Amino acid sequence: VRVSADTARCEGHGLCEEVAPAMYELDDNAVVAVVHEKVPPELERLAEAGARVCPVAALKVVR
Amino acid sequence: VKFKRIVVVGGSIAALTAVETLRVEGFDGSITVLSDEKGPPYTRVPLSKTVLAGLVSEDDVALPTASDLVDLRLQVRAHGLDVQRRVVHTSAGAVPFDGLVIATGARARTMRRRPGGERVLRDIEHSRSLRADLAKASSVLVVGGGFLGMEIASTCCELGKDVTIVDREPPLERLLGPLVGARIRTAARESGVRIRVAEGGVELVGGKTPSGARLADGEVLDADIVVSAVGDLPNVEWLSGSGLDVEGGVRVDAWCRARPNIVAAGDVATQTGPDGSCRRTPSWTNAVEQARAAARALLHAEKATPYRPSHYYWTEQFGLDVKMVGRPGSDGTPAISEGSVDRPPALLEWRASGTAYRVVAMNHGIRPAQLKRLVPAPAIGNFSNLP
Repeated sequence: VRVSADTARCEGHGLCEEVAPAMYELDDNAVVAVVHEKVPPELERLAEAGARVCPVAALKVVR
Repeated sequence: VKFKRIVVVGGSIAALTAVETLRVEGFDGSITVLSDEKGPPYTRVPLSKTVLAGLVSEDDVALPTASDLVDLRLQVRAHGLDVQRRVVHTSAGAVPFDGLVIATGARARTMRRRPGGERVLRDIEHSRSLRADLAKASSVLVVGGGFLGMEIASTCCELGKDVTIVDREPPLERLLGPLVGARIRTAARESGVRIRVAEGGVELVGGKTPSGARLADGEVLDADIVVSAVGDLPNVEWLSGSGLDVEGGVRVDAWCRARPNIVAAGDVATQTGPDGSCRRTPSWTNAVEQARAAARALLHAEKATPYRPSHYYWTEQFGLDVKMVGRPGSDGTPAISEGSVDRPPALLEWRASGTAYRVVAMNHGIRPAQLKRLVPAPAIGNFSNLP
């Protein structure tokens, strides 16, 4: 399971980081950075929750 | 985790966020969502904007619900709660629970005691019927100059309608203060909107479907379509007799709890702030954040973090994109830290004792997460900054 982040699409709402700080971080410019590109099994559900909350659909969890 | 069966009453963003949070936090019992809506959950945010303008399809507003997470029951209306027996009474029979999330939201307040044909904008059917009727109309009167009323006016302008907005106070003044309020009103006027301030209030006139509003001095503002955007009322009637305190909303503690096994979140919940006043925070951001806090408190009690709202708000109207962090209010004078309010982009900061307690960005590229970083969390909750 991997996470892809479309940083061009990211608007810096920061909801992914609020929901899933273990998976997503915002840099100083409030652009998303994925913590684990290959998602550890115990974080899969969290990764999906953080991706689902993105208001501009910049995050995709790919199985 | 001690619960086996959690019931969520409500079918909008607070309800769905609670479900998602319960699963992320490891709750593996059953979750039943009782929604009285006709269709699956959707987001209300674009109903006054792109949906009303016909720019997006109704499929675009659907909220994703992972069906494996939850048993979603549509068209089920809760009409009673038995706190002791742990049962929600509904139009489809009794539904037992161990833990309960109350997320029944709010409905549009109306001007008339018997609303009947009074037009409001709260759910997707309102947006759909208003859009259809706008196609046959040339003039629109919006009663109420808050965020919603102004967004409706803006969309109607874009659709080429002749728009009037009437309120007791200058629109947005109480929410955004005189400087920002006046700037948005200028943008509205430049778009062709007539703004009428009726200090004595107005009364709707016409038959079942209002055809205008009468001012205190007798003048009548007529329009093909009259829309009331005069606030909302929490949906708490179903809880009367339950023993819960539902005066002005479901009253909850700092963890969003009404009872150890009953939490409330979103437009229906009212919480006491640091100044002792109890209020609801009916906004999209609050619904999401409060639902998360409520779900965690249901599972972890006091070990969960008490709820602290971010007070992030945004609105788009008359070519202005406004983002705000901090409690809405008309107090204080902001410093212009970047740009110009007359010619946005602009970034404004309200400060007390050297600390920002509210920031507003107008047509400014700053990202929401960056805007939130400008206001230290404790300053937001510090009600003593307010008059």
